[in-house]
Amino acid sequence: MAVQNWTDILKSSKKTALISDGKRKIHYLFTDGKEMSEEYDLKTDELIVRKWRHKSTLGDQSPWQVEVGEPLAGPDTSLDSEVIKENCSNPVLMRKDTKNSFQWRIRNLPFPKDVFSVSAEPSDRCIVVKTSNKKYYKKFNIPDLDRNELPLDNSALNFSHANNTLIISYKKPKEILTLEQELLKELKKLKGTDEGDVDCKTQ
Amino acid sequence: MATTKVPEVRDITRIERIGAHSHIRGLGLDDALEPRQVSQGLVGQLASRRAAGVILEMIKDGHIAGRAVLIAGQPGTGKTAIAMGIAQSLGPDTPFTAMAGSEIFSLEMSKTESLSQAFRKAIGVRIKEETEIIEGEVVEIQIDRPATGTGAKVGKLTLKTTEMETIYDLGNKMIDSLSKEKVQAGDVITIDKATGKISKLGRSFTRARDYDAMGAQTQFVQCPEGELQKRKEVVHTVSLHEIDVINSRTQGFLALFSGDTGEIKAEVREQINAKVCEWREEGKAEIIPGVLFIDEVHMLDMECFSFLNRALESDLSPVLIMATNRGITRIRGTNYQSPHGIPIDLLDRLLIIATSPYTEKETKQILKIRCEEEDVELSDEAHTVLTRIGMETSLRYAIQLISTAGLVCRKRKGTEVQVEDIKRVYSLFLDEARSSQYMKEYQDSFLFNETQAPTMDTS
Repeated sequence: MAVQNWTDILKSSKKTALISDGKRKIHYLFTDGKEMSEEYDLKTDELIVRKWRHKSTLGDQSPWQVEVGEPLAGPDTSLDSEVIKENCSNPVLMRKDTKNSFQWRIRNLPFPKDVFSVSAEPSDRCIVVKTSNKKYYKKFNIPDLDRNELPLDNSALNFSHANNTLIISYKKPKEILTLEQELLKELKKLKGTDEGDVDCKTQ
Repeated sequence: MATTKVPEVRDITRIERIGAHSHIRGLGLDDALEPRQVSQGLVGQLASRRAAGVILEMIKDGHIAGRAVLIAGQPGTGKTAIAMGIAQSLGPDTPFTAMAGSEIFSLEMSKTESLSQAFRKAIGVRIKEETEIIEGEVVEIQIDRPATGTGAKVGKLTLKTTEMETIYDLGNKMIDSLSKEKVQAGDVITIDKATGKISKLGRSFTRARDYDAMGAQTQFVQCPEGELQKRKEVVHTVSLHEIDVINSRTQGFLALFSGDTGEIKAEVREQINAKVCEWREEGKAEIIPGVLFIDEVHMLDMECFSFLNRALESDLSPVLIMATNRGITRIRGTNYQSPHGIPIDLLDRLLIIATSPYTEKETKQILKIRCEEEDVELSDEAHTVLTRIGMETSLRYAIQLISTAGLVCRKRKGTEVQVEDIKRVYSLFLDEARSSQYMKEYQDSFLFNETQAPTMDTS
């Protein structure tokens, strides 16, 4: 079964744990060379960051791609200013999950609520955000559902708008909830050093 | 702020510096590989140009790897020119690496390492890669130049699709390429996000009314749909050396401290060779053997030659073109004499193209082409005088005189170089023969003349 599949992949990956700044940080190295890094809050066990990195066909290391959490704003973004980048006044999409639902926040959207329409498209396996004034349009998928090959459900989706921010929530299906709990239990068993450098065997 | 501010576009036409061979555009052959007397900047040398044409076809076919060609001839008979002609006719898609024989001697890298790097630079791999592109219709470009005239320019670009609109901040490089491409509001463009390469797809249909402002070949296209940023598969050519460099870089945070790659491990190369062959079999990639041109090949020493022998046998080897102006001379690093300073066993593997000295008529033609290239007007008499100088001294010396005479002519506010100008620079600058003569006459009064060294050993 597909759900089994993803858990198998997770189980077969090399994991390194580290606890610092009140966060449990876990680094996964998968057999195909992909790397995933997760950060959980120690108190609430909430997922704060999940990011991915993989090798390109030529063997180059790609920068981290953030799936959950704040987009990376490191010093290297200024290096790219030679070319082109989005203006800071543009809408920014980020994902921040809660215990029971996936949640996305799109900031910098100063339009009234009735401009927006959010829908799930099961055929494309993605959620589409549209604006009737044609200012913003975004298609994104839910990687968690894709990995477990679960269907999209329009009724699990709802959205609200406040403070120039559009918040979209999608209720986590049962399978995901159980999977996440199991994973968390597993991760807590991993021995993590409290501070300082660890021998990261995955690097 | 509703009006679209079209930036004042100063035409950035190519301002290239004029090099010794910048007048060469190709080999000057017709479809049947017959050389034309004067074409694409090349004059005469019909036999060797024809031979180069045959080699060119061989390279274009791309099936034969590891062939080596030697262009041999006296100084100033167009050896480098022929190699440049080959490079030009191959076009930008086939890798052409040019180096001089003396470039490989470095303290940081072994000779064979720099030779293998040169070899691998000359082999291209066409491969598909996914990149992020931005595709949309230009709504507005706004470029602010600082009032003082110096400092960074600030630019904003607004792009839209049928569904959305986004404002981008532009870097300096981007502003330059936007004005070079003459992008204006209403154009539909794509931008490669990683490299910043812009391509114009056409003009948007919504702007179809402004007939007056456009040329005949302007294409109208629909405004793109959906999101502005898309992932797209693009095919591009990278050299094996570039893949080597990417894969031999220190991983992790250590990469911050290691700048250059230096020597690349043999294991890395082997891995990459295996991977490239795998891609080729799977149809993911295509190998394009290019050309490695080594000028002044007699500067290589014995170790390099034996390395070349071995390297030419690899199936991932480019076509090697070498040029030399030496006759029978000592092979560097040994005490043996050999034709062109190249060991016999390597010579045996080579196809040798010989160039012969130019005739008077050809010299005249070449000088004419160079005058056009350097934008110097020459009167007929001056041209004849210069040709004589070229025949009696050397072609290179005569070419040097063109720009100097042009300068002298401009100083006296003339428009056309006269015999007087040529005479003047001829008296100002010595050619090789006159300089030697001068040396012989006044040797005694020069410094260090008592240490009587034998003649210079250049091999």
